Amino acid sequence: MESLALKDDYGTGAQVNAQNSLQLIAFSIGEQTYGVEITTVREIRAWNGATPLPNTREYVRGVINLRGTIVPIFDLRARFGEGQTSPTKNHVVVVMSVGDKWVGILVDAVSDILTVSKDEIHNVPEGNSMDTELLNGIVTHDSRMVGLIDLHAVVSGAKVDS
Amino acid sequence: MSDLDDFKATYFDECSELLTELEEQFAAIEAGERTPDRLNAVFRAIHSIKGGGGAFGFAELVAFAHAYETLLDHVRDGRIELSGPVTTLCIRANDIVADFVNAAKTGASLGPAYGDVERHQFDALTSGNAPGGEADAEAPMEDFDIDFVPVMVDLGAAAPAAPEPAEDSFASAPLTVEKGHWEIRFAPHSELYARANDPLLLFRELANFGELTVVARLTDIPPLADFEPFGIYCTWELTLVSPTASAEAIAEVFEFVEGNCELSIAQLPSRAAPAPEPSLAELAQLVAPAAPPDSPALSFAELAETVKQEMPARPAAPAPAPAPAIKLVEAEPAAIADEHEERRAGPEERRNAGVQSIRVDLDKVDRVVNMVGELVITQSMLSQQMDDTLRARYQELVRGLEVLAQTTRGLQDAVMAIRAQPVKSVFSRMPRLVRELATRTGKKIKLETIGEATEIDKTVIEQLSDPLTHMIRNSADHGIEAPDKRLRLGKPEIGTIRLSAEQAGGNILIAVEDDGGGINRERVLQVACDKGIVAADTTPTDEQIDQLIFAPGFSTAEAVSDISGRGVGMDVVLSNIKKIGGSVHVKSRSGQGTRMTLRLPLTLAVLDVMLVKVGPSPYVIPLSSIVETIQCSRADFGRAPSGAKVLRVRGEYVQVVDLSERFQLRGDAELANRFVVLCEAEGGVKIALVVDDIIGQQQVVIKSLEENFESIDGIAGGTILGDGNVALIVDVQGLKASNSLHKNAA
Repeated sequence: MESLALKDDYGTGAQVNAQNSLQLIAFSIGEQTYGVEITTVREIRAWNGATPLPNTREYVRGVINLRGTIVPIFDLRARFGEGQTSPTKNHVVVVMSVGDKWVGILVDAVSDILTVSKDEIHNVPEGNSMDTELLNGIVTHDSRMVGLIDLHAVVSGAKVDS
Repeated sequence: MSDLDDFKATYFDECSELLTELEEQFAAIEAGERTPDRLNAVFRAIHSIKGGGGAFGFAELVAFAHAYETLLDHVRDGRIELSGPVTTLCIRANDIVADFVNAAKTGASLGPAYGDVERHQFDALTSGNAPGGEADAEAPMEDFDIDFVPVMVDLGAAAPAAPEPAEDSFASAPLTVEKGHWEIRFAPHSELYARANDPLLLFRELANFGELTVVARLTDIPPLADFEPFGIYCTWELTLVSPTASAEAIAEVFEFVEGNCELSIAQLPSRAAPAPEPSLAELAQLVAPAAPPDSPALSFAELAETVKQEMPARPAAPAPAPAPAIKLVEAEPAAIADEHEERRAGPEERRNAGVQSIRVDLDKVDRVVNMVGELVITQSMLSQQMDDTLRARYQELVRGLEVLAQTTRGLQDAVMAIRAQPVKSVFSRMPRLVRELATRTGKKIKLETIGEATEIDKTVIEQLSDPLTHMIRNSADHGIEAPDKRLRLGKPEIGTIRLSAEQAGGNILIAVEDDGGGINRERVLQVACDKGIVAADTTPTDEQIDQLIFAPGFSTAEAVSDISGRGVGMDVVLSNIKKIGGSVHVKSRSGQGTRMTLRLPLTLAVLDVMLVKVGPSPYVIPLSSIVETIQCSRADFGRAPSGAKVLRVRGEYVQVVDLSERFQLRGDAELANRFVVLCEAEGGVKIALVVDDIIGQQQVVIKSLEENFESIDGIAGGTILGDGNVALIVDVQGLKASNSLHKNAA
């Protein structure tokens, strides 16, 4: 019985094995769910304001002090071209490492930790260049579509060239 | 990196310090301070370099250092006078040692004959002076083996007043037995030391009675494996020659240690003065060099007796070991002399030991600096949390916070002081450079240094060596004239380069000044036009021409020499100094000389800033660049033809940058309530920044934006304020540059 229950927890029919699975942190922006690989996530913290940076794109919300290091915060909603988030204390900053840099992503909420199989990652449909640029792929979880964020793409091109 | 490489790296680190020390000592010696202390320091430095070099097998270095050391030894003994030529030779030798060290470091070869000329000079000097015996005297000293050496402690000589020749005190004292001859054996137990008694004090007191000789018995010292750090292995035999002393009086000296030692006091019968005594050296030759460790130690008197019995055996070749095998290793004159020297150097040595340094990785210090920065921020955050109600309720907490504030400030100062170093470490490399330049250019140049004790951050110091080298080269090559020309011009034949450092507010000013011909402005302008550095039809001011020498690729030298002419030097100066946040100024008077001044920040880690508000955001402006602040309602704004705002201040028109416009931050303050912060960028160019409010002054720790993001125009970095928020640092220089770019485009 126990083993069955455990299996159920893993969710909808995913053929999970250690080598071929991916653990994601899922977070939401409006109705949409996105995910990043859990190993890149360093910290999750509540939104507590940021110091705006001049001459940057609107999706750069500014910088925060993370225990003595200055970390830039990217507004994921704005990055997808849906306008700036009006953050409240309930909004969440997910701090991740991209290469050797640490960045924060402002999202509405962190919803779940998901385990998915790598086989289940679908390609992003061609058509919208922003989608193909910012997403690595799409997985389905609980019949929800989860976009896998390409962090390198999200944080690039943040500066306005003067 | 292997351990050996680590050791080598440490050795080379030490070498560079020792070489610096050599420069310093000789600078003082040249200035007339020929004290034994200085000579000893020189001797120690060369000896350390030689010793380490030997361990790593740098044969050439060791051979040269050894020859040099021999010379120094003669100088130290007074056999060779430290005259002008000898000093010059020594300074030259220091340079050669430095070259050998460098060659060993890089693995380069200096050729087999390098330094031979000087080595022959050493030999010529020393061979004329050294009596044959002296050379041999050195050998046993090097094999000095503590296990079998009873040590002579001569208290008379230990007294500071009488640094008399060692041999004398020994020849006279111990063996002339007259009336009141006491023999004391003293074997302390460990409790004696545990109660903080010092045998030396007892012996000194005994010495007050009369002639005292002390012999330490070290025969009980076990093999190193059985050696206990707190074990007692040393006993003493004392011979006191005093007509006045009584057994009671002697016992009284030991009153406080009674029960903590084995003590026997015995009076020896008086005898007539014996026939001429053999010298100590002869004594030593007579007695067998080694003895079984358990053989009973003999008193001096017995020893003298034995020796006298043996006397007839001389002058036959070394006598067979005397029946009661006596173990006495002569404390031979050289060793005694050494000991005296150590005694004399004693107090200072001890003081030095107190301020000894340790080697710490700079990264580790930086980590501490960063953490202290965080601590300061946390502390001020805590203080800000205290409102009046809390203050009234928790007085203990308030007091605690005040102490915390003091302690953190102290800690911050202390940590910054760790990073600070005197500029001496760079300055001391320059005399050698000047000597070399003088030789190569055939000019006569003397270097004066002022303010060597001025302290700057270690990182700044490291960046200073190259620029200073280039500036001094420039002065020597272009500034100072040839001796005959100087004489013709009525100047002293020897040119002077003055290197000075001083602190001016939050900056350090380092100046290189020469009394040469000054910058030839016509020629500089001509060359600059030829090379296309300036447009041919422009008429720059004198100051602007002077600055041209810093342009990349600029050189007035007709031919490229190994000193200058490639046109990189002064460019390097400017770029290096800029990199560490400093600036360079040139002032030149034709025919009288040139003065180049480097303005450097005291530290790179902490910045004194003015905290301002632009729109809703806090910004900080480095205090070092601020000239003054003016209320906008009192400021005299005007409009340039291009439509750009200008500020008139003291008859000068200054470009205005409104930070809230520039940074696209909506400020809602009325113009009249805003402030103008007048800043000075590089080269004395002023720029007026308009901010919404001025909040105050504080010290901040600079944090990089690039670490996790990228650099932004007009922003030099970030910092964390007391409330934990990030404030951006205004890049005054960058704003000025981008603004003028903007203007040009318009």
